[in-house]
Amino acid sequence: MARPRGTDGSLLASLPWTLAALFVSIAPHVPYLPPWITAAFLACAGWRYVIERQRRALPSPWLRAALALGCFLGVLATYSSISGVGPGSALLTIMAALKLLETRRRRDQFVLLFLSIFLVMSALLREQYLWSVPYMLVSVLVIMTAWLRMPAGEVQTARQSFATGTRLLAYAVPLALVMWLFFPRISTPFWAVPIDTSRAAAGLSETMSPGDISSLSMSDAVAFRVSFDGPVPHPRDRYWRGLVLTQFNGRTWSGREPGRDPGARDQIEVSGDPIDYTITLEPTRQQWLFALDMPTEWSFGREAFMGPQQQLARATPIDQRIIYRVRSYPDFRVGTELRSLYRRWYSGLPEDSNPRTADLARQMRLAAGSDRAFVDAVLDMLHEQPFFYTLEPPPLGSNPVDRFLFDTRRGFCEHYASAFSVLLRSVGIPTRIVLGYQGGEINPLGGHLIVRQSDAHAWTEVWFEGAGWVRVDPTAAVAPERVEIGTRDAVLEGVGEGWGFSAPSRLVQQVTMAWDAINARWNEWILGYGPDTQNAFMKWLGMHEPTWRKMLLTLVVLVVALIMAISLVLMFRYQPPEKDEAARLYARFVTRTGLQPRTGETARRFARRVRATGALPMSTVHAVTDAYMDARYGGDEEARERLRQAVRAMT
Amino acid sequence: MSSIPWPFPDARGFLAGLGRRGRDRVRRWARKRQGADPKTTTLSPGRVYILPTGVGLVFGLMTFAMLLGSMNYNNNLSFVLTFLLVGVGFVAMHQCQRNLVGLDVTFAGAEPVFAGQAIRYRVAVTNHSKSTRYGIRLYTDAAGSEVQDLAPGESRIFVLALRSEQRGWQRLERFGISTLFPFELFRAWAWLHMDMRGLAYPALVDDAPPPPPTMTARGHRQHDARGEEDFAGLRRYHEGDSPRHVAWKAFARSGQMLSKQFAGADTSSQWFDYEQLRGMDLERRLSVLTRWIVDADRSLEDYGLRIPGAEFAPAHGASHRRRCLEALALFGPGTA
Repeated sequence: MARPRGTDGSLLASLPWTLAALFVSIAPHVPYLPPWITAAFLACAGWRYVIERQRRALPSPWLRAALALGCFLGVLATYSSISGVGPGSALLTIMAALKLLETRRRRDQFVLLFLSIFLVMSALLREQYLWSVPYMLVSVLVIMTAWLRMPAGEVQTARQSFATGTRLLAYAVPLALVMWLFFPRISTPFWAVPIDTSRAAAGLSETMSPGDISSLSMSDAVAFRVSFDGPVPHPRDRYWRGLVLTQFNGRTWSGREPGRDPGARDQIEVSGDPIDYTITLEPTRQQWLFALDMPTEWSFGREAFMGPQQQLARATPIDQRIIYRVRSYPDFRVGTELRSLYRRWYSGLPEDSNPRTADLARQMRLAAGSDRAFVDAVLDMLHEQPFFYTLEPPPLGSNPVDRFLFDTRRGFCEHYASAFSVLLRSVGIPTRIVLGYQGGEINPLGGHLIVRQSDAHAWTEVWFEGAGWVRVDPTAAVAPERVEIGTRDAVLEGVGEGWGFSAPSRLVQQVTMAWDAINARWNEWILGYGPDTQNAFMKWLGMHEPTWRKMLLTLVVLVVALIMAISLVLMFRYQPPEKDEAARLYARFVTRTGLQPRTGETARRFARRVRATGALPMSTVHAVTDAYMDARYGGDEEARERLRQAVRAMT
Repeated sequence: MSSIPWPFPDARGFLAGLGRRGRDRVRRWARKRQGADPKTTTLSPGRVYILPTGVGLVFGLMTFAMLLGSMNYNNNLSFVLTFLLVGVGFVAMHQCQRNLVGLDVTFAGAEPVFAGQAIRYRVAVTNHSKSTRYGIRLYTDAAGSEVQDLAPGESRIFVLALRSEQRGWQRLERFGISTLFPFELFRAWAWLHMDMRGLAYPALVDDAPPPPPTMTARGHRQHDARGEEDFAGLRRYHEGDSPRHVAWKAFARSGQMLSKQFAGADTSSQWFDYEQLRGMDLERRLSVLTRWIVDADRSLEDYGLRIPGAEFAPAHGASHRRRCLEALALFGPGTA
């Protein structure tokens, strides 16, 4: 090739900043990236810097093509896909690394800066923590500084570039704020692209196998937060309905995939006052939406629906934090009309499994006389006989319900719900198991309720003739404190099997609550600023019936006003100092002469030169010059007036 | 089968022509709108034009893509980033325009050159404001100055070097002043139409015949008639100079043969006469005369110039040289 491959060191002023911009934008991706990509980027960055420093030649096109192919195949092998945020950011990082190896002109550096902007954006798609915003501002500032260091001619000092970048960014902040507030939000995505949230998602298990080796989550991770419009309901009313399990195969309870059932809503009859609340749900990668029993209205329009067992779900998996509003009625009756076909289906059990349980149920039913008395008798049994609440029960082998009821008698909500349901189904009483959360902790600072993964719970619903589905929580019979005060404290105060941690101190508790309150506000108001919140905000601002047209119009008007204000500030910054009147009048005279005063030339010398040209009458030249000197250095009004007249006479 | 002729034989040339015509029309409009500018012009906001650059268009597309992405993911933080960048774009536009507004532009003259050489139009740009103006550049269609920054109160000279095609007055009808600061997203520029002239002397030829022999004032060939009354200076040694007049001390110092010159009543003088140069065309004659004058001036000889309509008595010095060369530059019909 005829083109020179050597570098001339001309990028030495800007390259370190371009590298810094790439570093800050890639850093948030590093925990997600395969280590070889980070290593490849660092190697390329170092290599490129040395090349520029020592004015070496750039690697040959063949070598670059080979590297590019290798890296692309590497990404494909690591992710087995190239769409989505994970592979996307990996590819962007690789592109930046390889682009560095062929960067020789400013144009290439623009490409690098555009790449780093995309990297900043993809980091935001993945993580939206409180500190993500300040970090983003810093990243943008570094990118802008790098940008300002690229011009062809003279280059500002790094400090000047940084100051200019900061100033321009400061002007842009109010503009961004206005656009952010007023840009109309829509709720439906155009197309679904998976977001790599592998670290963040935590959902409920969609089946339940009490008796397998299992232990309940003690994770403190937040499942969702709830802000109630009114007072927070009592702990024993805080049953957050999730999914419903209806079939049992002797070991495992399972339910159905989320599906729309238009009739489910109609089975609900409500009375009393509703509870309105807003839920901020952390990503679960599942479709279930949680709500207090019994939800009747909810957000998302047709995007969300109710399943046949009154479970709420969304059409697409929840892979980002979402906010929705629900109205629930604590007083409700549901499914009072249940056809006999369904009655049989809800009391179905596999043949020949857990025979001792079935025998016990039949005996107790005979003794009780009625279904209701039988249910009470079962609850009494669980309460009075030595059953223990523990989070690490022994495994149960085959016929797990038999073994649990007659041998081990240790378990948590799943064991009790399962055993209870099997007992009831054995005598033909329709039952179903609800998985969800129970309880939650009130944050005294934020006033909201925090529901954690450790609040996951399983309870049962029993169908009675005339009353419909009634919630019965067998765990409450065994360990009432689980329902009253929550899992962790139930374990601590209850059986006391020597857990390896003590209750956190008050101070830690308070700090944790404060941090949680801040995060809750952040989630609700910043991350969750969606169609509903925006609508509410517009109304609060006094906009009647906000529409996207009105919002866009307001946005344009405010942006234009702000730009005019910024323009004024800039005008002031760049204004030349006010010339005094004498200087202005004299300038008119100078223009008229057609000559240009030389540097250091006095007015009198200049007058002599003007006289030589004969462009103006001698008397005028003298009059103006004398008046100007007097006005300039004496400064009295009389001299100024003379100057005014002399200049006027000239024209 | 013969190939079907392409209906647009030179589509690219056609488009370029269209672009050029459009540009010329815009320029004529600007010229008409602004009128002729005085020698010192302050750039007012009304005459600073601004358009996005290629980088700016890419940036615009990128922010649009980011907006779509933010809407798709309903991600409020990437909305923040997108709108921040859009805001930076708006601010950059105003900053770019303000970077030019209020600058004083003054034509600071152009030194005469010989035809074929580049005339260096010097333009002083002064920043009277309190803020630094970054990345200022002057340009014409054919030339561009270097990019310079102007600190508050600073004045800098920008040079536009334009090749002079022929002798005579060369005019620079229009030049532009532009900036890409701050991010090269926008280009702000202003057109200035000042009375800018630079003089091109006739081309300097290398193959000129030797100058006519030095004659005395009476038209005789000089032998040793140069007076010895007053020492006037040194000149290059010519064959025939008296050895008595050679500056031997200078020779010992520099190794160059120089003759002492004396100003006397009977001064010798060279006449460079247009009429004597026969058998050449006009431009060639002027070029030869120019070469002679330049050489004579370098060797500190007196010379006179005679061209139709003008005569310059023998003399030497910078102003004499300038007068003679100007006369040659502007000689003839239609060049004055």
